[in-house]
Amino acid sequence: MKHYDVVVIGAGNGGLTAAAATQRGGKTTLLLERHNIPGGCATSFVRGNFEFEVALHQLSGLGTESQPFVMRDIFNSLGVMDKVEFIQERDLYRLAVPGELDITLPASWKGLQKTLQEHFPEEEQAIVQFMDICEKVTLEGFLTLPKAKRSNNPEVLNDECAHFVKYGFRSALDVLSELFSNKKLITLISSYWNYVGVPPSQMLFSDLASMLYSYAVFKPWHIKGGSQSLSNALVESFIEAGGDVRFNCGAEKILTEAGGVTGVQLETGERVTCNAVISNASPLVTFNELLDHDQLPIKVQQDFKSRRMGTSAFVIYLGLDCTPEELGITAPSSFISSTLDWEAVSDRMEAFDSPLGGMITCYNLDDPDAAPPGKSQVALVCLQYGDVWQTVAPEEYVKTKYAFAEKLIDLIEQVYPKVRHFIEEIEVATPLTMMRYLNTPGGAIYGFKQTPEDSNLIRERLEGVNGLYSVGSWTSMGGFQPTYMAGESTARAVLKKLNQMEAQHV
Amino acid sequence: MSEHNVLNGIVGYQEVWQSKAALEKTGSNFQEIKQDVQKTVERIHPKRLSLKVDRIIEETASTKTFRLVSSTGAVLPPFQAGQYINVFVDINGVATARPYAIASSPAHRHYYDLTIKRAEGGFVSHFALDQLKEEQALTSSGPMGTFHHNPLFHGEDLVFLAGGSGSVPARSMLLDILERNLPYRFHLIYVNSFEHDVIYAKELRALASTQANFTLTEVVTRPTSNSQGHKGRLTTEFLSNLVPSITDKMFYICGPTPFNESCITLLTQLGVKRRRIRVEANGAPKRPDLQQNWPEGVSLNEEVTVTVKGKGSYKTRVGEPLLNSLETHGFSTENACRSGECSLCRVKLVSGTVFNPSEAHLRKSDRKFGWIYSCVAFPTSDIEVLL
Repeated sequence: MKHYDVVVIGAGNGGLTAAAATQRGGKTTLLLERHNIPGGCATSFVRGNFEFEVALHQLSGLGTESQPFVMRDIFNSLGVMDKVEFIQERDLYRLAVPGELDITLPASWKGLQKTLQEHFPEEEQAIVQFMDICEKVTLEGFLTLPKAKRSNNPEVLNDECAHFVKYGFRSALDVLSELFSNKKLITLISSYWNYVGVPPSQMLFSDLASMLYSYAVFKPWHIKGGSQSLSNALVESFIEAGGDVRFNCGAEKILTEAGGVTGVQLETGERVTCNAVISNASPLVTFNELLDHDQLPIKVQQDFKSRRMGTSAFVIYLGLDCTPEELGITAPSSFISSTLDWEAVSDRMEAFDSPLGGMITCYNLDDPDAAPPGKSQVALVCLQYGDVWQTVAPEEYVKTKYAFAEKLIDLIEQVYPKVRHFIEEIEVATPLTMMRYLNTPGGAIYGFKQTPEDSNLIRERLEGVNGLYSVGSWTSMGGFQPTYMAGESTARAVLKKLNQMEAQHV
Repeated sequence: MSEHNVLNGIVGYQEVWQSKAALEKTGSNFQEIKQDVQKTVERIHPKRLSLKVDRIIEETASTKTFRLVSSTGAVLPPFQAGQYINVFVDINGVATARPYAIASSPAHRHYYDLTIKRAEGGFVSHFALDQLKEEQALTSSGPMGTFHHNPLFHGEDLVFLAGGSGSVPARSMLLDILERNLPYRFHLIYVNSFEHDVIYAKELRALASTQANFTLTEVVTRPTSNSQGHKGRLTTEFLSNLVPSITDKMFYICGPTPFNESCITLLTQLGVKRRRIRVEANGAPKRPDLQQNWPEGVSLNEEVTVTVKGKGSYKTRVGEPLLNSLETHGFSTENACRSGECSLCRVKLVSGTVFNPSEAHLRKSDRKFGWIYSCVAFPTSDIEVLL
């Protein structure tokens, strides 16, 4: 039986970064992926002359060359920085609420303040205060809060994390309503709730603040060739370091003995032994289905019971036979809503009724290579829970899919009226498509529902089986940067543990 | 959580902690949705179907229809008219597969009809026509493919240009439209070399005479004196007379590769936008050496060695698609469309060179990092691949 130090189950962002890091850290690693391609969400597919980005809308955390941020270090350490090319986006986003507002926010901290003040002069002072709070909450959350936590000293907390203490753990809507009186400004500035999946009343202010601050200061990015490029680069780095990768080969069982991991049984029936398993599958699949026994550790059960299923998404991938200019697209990322009330938009996410809000990303506005000359690559998205889709009879599925797609296109055409006319290629992904390709319950795209109770500051690592680690959106925040970071940091923990074990044996 | 947790000093923290404890009381450990993903996906997109041949119908001298049913008698997964299944077979110890379009209507889910024409120099088609028997068991993929009507942009005026067995998906689309009373107009322009090659001839002619929204135009390129229908090849003149307001239609093209290419050229000359033309993929090219960028001085019959990393090596011809030679020599990889589109047979080229023909719809980064679609890749030197 073949032995590996580490088996990584799933080549999503968390699995890829973890596998590259453990192999490059000197531990023999086997990376398993059920599909023929790495990436999970971070993937692409080809239709006709178009290659469609599946999931990356705006990569955060990279920073510029002159002002680098954490992801640059991580990508460097994983050996992929010279294998991919990043494309900087000029804007944060455009928010269009027909008849109410239409504003594009620039990807610049100073520019953001200026734009907000121009449109909302009566809130000039509040905007200054808001931006100061965002910056401090973000920096404290990133730098001094971990220190306060380690010291467990209230003085450190109060002295060095004053803004986080006051604002960080309240809801975004609560803080915004305290600072601003203009409802339109509140709606505009909280559009990024779409990247978290819960409306401003249910998301932590610190999450919104850090998204706005990070995107504006460290810029939003696309990847040349799509996120698939980065996934492929991570596999390349992993193979170069001597790692074994198996595609079209899922894990069947995680094998244990006396409460510890001993190996993995593959889809083919083969077994390998290992000292650690890093699972990029949902922990619901990892613990409830992959483990070779039914005694779910109490701590894990408690954790699961306090979680709620997160949102999935409905996505339309469009290859259009026209330029972004012909469509009227002026910003790569737009949010579109028929109401200023994000709570109402969020309420629709459980139903088949016409979506009230959605987003549209045009990938070739800042990167002409993202579509053939004269054409456009566009993704339309609305968040939606998977439940309603699971009630659809198989023979009604396709009809239901097209009917709902018509509704989402109707919404987007309120702002970009000619979309239908130019369609050359189209692919529609429902929450069941997410289920199929991500293997996540509910087709969840950001893991568990990211209400404040989901925060990492409230959670501990899922323990109970020695040598079993979870990475991915379910045990960290959802999205690209958090899952890349979770994979890398988990790999560091695994390397440390394995090195300690080896040292004891010497 | 310990009372001495310093984070309790954060405004709102303790409330969230309490609310988490409340959630824990009412929540579930999700055991009730165990296998939920698998079961849900399996109903719509099963990876494999276990089938058996129920009936065999002789269509023409070179064509048979195989009615496949589930080996358990269950209904088969739904599909969109125009889609295919990939049928896995073992022929004298060689495990291989071929994609075949479903000929029957999506409304009837107790069976899939596959109409298979004997291909010149074929392997699996010969096996099917000569050896497949009723009651024989077969395994296939689930229904797949993007060659189908899409109500989001195809419209209601549909013209299908079929060559030879390219009429198979057309039949399914036609039956779907008629049985569901869809408000589409369907015009089938069906081209065959000889009149006796016309598959579904009686059925199509009967439907054309009774169904107002179905038009059949038969074209025979090598007519005998008493052939029905138009004689000769398709031309722009013929098509523009036959199809009014030609630029407003949606075209479906399915036939041999030269037929497909000539149809695209004709339609483009008539001003039809590429976005109004859908073409079904049709396997690896027979003459990749006639395509642009074929390496100079390399001939299709040259011998090359393929090494499968860690597993062995064998000799093959440059002109043999990699997937075929892998299968002939006992290796395998997942596959479905075998035409360079679905990406399931993606493997890594470790060393050497392959020719990726225009059929290979590779992702940009796959191209960059040496991942190839083995179904349409031609080894132009000794190569090593990672399966």
